[in-house]
Amino acid sequence: MTSLPTPDPGAKKLGLVIDLDTCVGCHACAVNCKEWNTGGHAAPLPDYDPYGKEPDGVWFNRIHSYEAGCGEASRTVNFPRSCLHCENPQCVTVCPTGASYKRVEDGIVLVDMDKCIGCKLCSWACPYGAREFDELAGVMKKCTLCIDRIYNETLPAEEREPACVATCPSRARHFGDFNDPESKVSKLVAQRGGVELMPELGYKPVNRYLPPRQAQIQTAPRERAAEGGNKLLRLLDKVLSR
Amino acid sequence: MKPAASVLLLTTLTGFGYGLLAWLALFALLGLLPASRWFMPVGVVVALGFAASGLIASMLHLGRPERAWRAFSQWRSSWLSREGVASLASFPPALGFAALWWGMGPAPVTVIVGLVAGALGLVTVYCTAMIYASLKPIRQWNNKHTAPNYMLLALFSGAMLMALLLACWTGQAGLAGLLVLLAGLLAAAAKLAYWRFIDTQKPLATLASATGLTRYGEVRPLDAPHFTENYVLREMGYQIARKHAARLRRITIATAFLLPSLLALLAGLGLVPALLIILATLLTAMGLFIERWLFFAEATHVATLYYGR
Repeated sequence: MTSLPTPDPGAKKLGLVIDLDTCVGCHACAVNCKEWNTGGHAAPLPDYDPYGKEPDGVWFNRIHSYEAGCGEASRTVNFPRSCLHCENPQCVTVCPTGASYKRVEDGIVLVDMDKCIGCKLCSWACPYGAREFDELAGVMKKCTLCIDRIYNETLPAEEREPACVATCPSRARHFGDFNDPESKVSKLVAQRGGVELMPELGYKPVNRYLPPRQAQIQTAPRERAAEGGNKLLRLLDKVLSR
Repeated sequence: MKPAASVLLLTTLTGFGYGLLAWLALFALLGLLPASRWFMPVGVVVALGFAASGLIASMLHLGRPERAWRAFSQWRSSWLSREGVASLASFPPALGFAALWWGMGPAPVTVIVGLVAGALGLVTVYCTAMIYASLKPIRQWNNKHTAPNYMLLALFSGAMLMALLLACWTGQAGLAGLLVLLAGLLAAAAKLAYWRFIDTQKPLATLASATGLTRYGEVRPLDAPHFTENYVLREMGYQIARKHAARLRRITIATAFLLPSLLALLAGLGLVPALLIILATLLTAMGLFIERWLFFAEATHVATLYYGR
């Protein structure tokens, strides 16, 4: 059923927080995602021409780097892009077969690959470019929020989080329930002013991005270093300044 | 957006077929069809032939065509599903229209079944248009021009087929020639209005709002995530058209609308009708194919902002 489920106010709203302040752009999330998911729910994630001149394939994370702002206030921002598990996902409602669906119990957006006819319309309906077509199987694939990890009771409890979150070396990715105000993700969004991507399109993405922190570590200007401490230096500074 | 041959054929051929079906029903209602047992049924077969070819072409672009039957299930939410349901529903009344005409002639029941078939055909064209018009990430489609454009183009191309059938059957284009002229000028005006509209549209979003970095003002791409094209760029990052868009638009207006309308007028006035209408139909088919190619190729997808396109 591709009509959206009636929202259940008590249901979980699972998603990711991605910290653009600490992301170092190492692509580890993309690689570990590929590694897990090529054997997981959406398996396989094919590669085309992997050792040739035009390697290409299905990935659920793409890591961009941008330059933001100009002059002293500018900075480099690494930007991991993946499915945002929107609350108003048009990729679901356009699906003619019922293959694309949003789960009532936790809000995860999934594709039933046994029903998908490969019309690609869902990928056209996604403003975030999150869905990638499997040219070999002829069906659409997308991030599952590692549904086969987060509920996997054969994994130790601390490992029940998406592969991208588990592997991030700078702890820039966090997983949790946005419907619980006490969850780590809700608190991070509140403390750091987490933002929606392209809110003007009305998809109400669940994932939030934490903008780079503006506060810098304050250091005393170096040319006034002689004012402190050493008496000899101060005397020299006085004499030479005449 | 990538202009795949399958969707170009789907949208143009169903326009021709269902446009013709609608005109056949209207002509039957107004008693304008030749008093022949065969003309109308042949017309319906031609109309359904065009529509069916378009629908089959669209199935060819599916990754799993053998599952196409599943697309009839989600009509509550999906315009693609509605298109499938409406097209399937148009076939029984259309065939009934032809059979009743053959058996009973232009009796009231024939005309009623014909009008139902014609209406379902136009509903199919509307559903096709709404597949595109409902996609929020593509500003060139998600606007008030898309659906009326599709309807007018279907009625114009259908009128052209109607004139073709009449000219070949009776040796005269007559009223249908005038109809082509009228529909052609209307369709051309709608298309020009559409182009003027998309040329003045503002982009849907900026790279800054797409990345949540609005605080910094300008955001520029630095390193791409991958160095070859991926699915998103191949499907949605199509850039070839923009270079030749202005010239292709002029070619479209001339070959799809103006020349055929002029030829149809001359044919209507009795100047070698069959020959001129055949020429006009071929020009229209070519022109509408270019027009549809532009509709896809000129459409930009907001996701390509992430790649600085």
